[in-house]
Amino acid sequence: MLDMVSEKSKRAKAAAPVEQHDGAPVATLADQGGLLALGGVEAFYGAFRAVNNVSLEVQPRAVTALIGPSGCGKSTLLRTINRMHETIPGATVKGSITLDGIDLYDTDVDAVRVRRVIGMVFQKPNPFPTMSIYENVAAGLRLLGRTPKSEMDGVVESSLRRAALWDEVKEKLKQPGTSLSGGQQQRLCIARAIAVQPRVLLMDEPCSALDPVATLKIEELIRELAADYTIVIVTHNMQQASRVSDSTAFFSMDENRAGYLVEAGPTPMIFTSPKESLTESYVAGRFG
Amino acid sequence: MRTPAVSLHEALLQPGAHDLRRARTDWIMQRIFQVAALLAVLPLFALVFYVTLRALPWLSPTLLFNNPLDQQPGILNAVVGSLQMTALAILVTGPIGIAGGVYLSEFAPRRVAAIGELVIDIMLGIPSIVAGIFAFLVLVPILGFSGWAGSAALGVLTLPIVMRTTQEVMRLVPPSIREASLALGVPVWRTTLLVTVRTALPGVLTGLVLATSRSLGETAPLLMTARGTNAENFLDFGTTMNAMPIVIYQYANAADERSIGQAWATALVLMVLALLLNVLVRWRTVNSRVA
Repeated sequence: MLDMVSEKSKRAKAAAPVEQHDGAPVATLADQGGLLALGGVEAFYGAFRAVNNVSLEVQPRAVTALIGPSGCGKSTLLRTINRMHETIPGATVKGSITLDGIDLYDTDVDAVRVRRVIGMVFQKPNPFPTMSIYENVAAGLRLLGRTPKSEMDGVVESSLRRAALWDEVKEKLKQPGTSLSGGQQQRLCIARAIAVQPRVLLMDEPCSALDPVATLKIEELIRELAADYTIVIVTHNMQQASRVSDSTAFFSMDENRAGYLVEAGPTPMIFTSPKESLTESYVAGRFG
Repeated sequence: MRTPAVSLHEALLQPGAHDLRRARTDWIMQRIFQVAALLAVLPLFALVFYVTLRALPWLSPTLLFNNPLDQQPGILNAVVGSLQMTALAILVTGPIGIAGGVYLSEFAPRRVAAIGELVIDIMLGIPSIVAGIFAFLVLVPILGFSGWAGSAALGVLTLPIVMRTTQEVMRLVPPSIREASLALGVPVWRTTLLVTVRTALPGVLTGLVLATSRSLGETAPLLMTARGTNAENFLDFGTTMNAMPIVIYQYANAADERSIGQAWATALVLMVLALLLNVLVRWRTVNSRVA
């Protein structure tokens, strides 16, 4: 049972357990599951429907890629999962999104808590400019409550290690977060996201602003992180999707410019023998 | 392929005279811009130079540390009065202005924000004499001719400055920063205070310093509210208070050489203070940001 809503007793056994943040229990890796289920999800910007009737099951501890041409609502769909979509004025969501059976849009569920359990990494790296590398990674902890320094040091180090950035920055933790290269900044953002111990990690085209070398490093990182997190990644790069993901969901746009799910399945199948002809055209590079 | 109107030969190869003329025109235009810049800056230098020249003979510790009623009259109560009234005005309008600016930038619906901006811009354009009349007619009956009324009049002028500057710099913080914080599960109010405001802080501070600069130099509102006094009243806001701009005005109108000299000296003190504040702002902006 996910402790986002349940009692505080579930803890320990996790890699670096973090104490309460103003009363909200923190999800730990010792729990099972992390099955994300989308049922008939529709997303609106005011009256305009951007995402139409998407039903998808995202497997836990695996990487699921959302691919498709521009404007198909992939990023919009991603943002409905961690309830970031509703921060835009006039934006609404219909349908059901559940994590381990818990409806994320239930009235008992606070959006802020959802975002602590489901982390996000953005297209353009966005470390906090006024904070050092250390402070950036610790930002999730510091902004949410008081964690003793000794514990924070541990969390920062383990997060940076998991993000494959520790060796490069351990001598300069006090330097500004923005002093790193693009690829390093993105890994810093990943470290920041995992420092609050989410269950799910959403990545919105995390490599599109980076050079090929940095991209490869991050793809390796994603494969490593998949052992511990459920990862959903939106990508325009088909080759990246085939390299990095276990399952792939292909989206397209209908006549009303709403995005819809064409086909989803194991990555090898989608790329070698898809069921829909539209999927086949897309992965063959005939459009998009 | 379409045939271009001019042959490549004609397009590229021009008689030599054209190039020379262009180089000369470039040079002339640069000189014109340069002279214009110098002309713009000249009055400022002339002002600073002339004030310093006239003021230096009269500048002395006695002037700075004595009061008007002492054996050797000085301007201490004016310096203190100015600083006090400005400090009070900023202490009150600073937090209100910042909070208002934050609201307009982060939380107000677009319509409200637009109207708010307009209102503030109008307030910014209020001539200081009008603010003075307002204070005279509305505040003085309640607060009397006092330091309170003086500070209030200054507050009317500083509030829109702080509010507008805060709003502008908050708007300049990229949305990606707010998103990064929200995505970590940080509530909106904490994001605003601890992330957005923190990022915009140098700009907010600049706004405060600009407001302080302005308020130190205001004459008309103070003439009609705090009025000026010869008494040594420190921290007594309940009665008339002296201020540097008032002293300059009164002494400059006097007939004797001594008073006029003191006016020059006070002017220099005021100018130096304003300059120091400006330097402080720039130094802070360069040094305090982590980046």
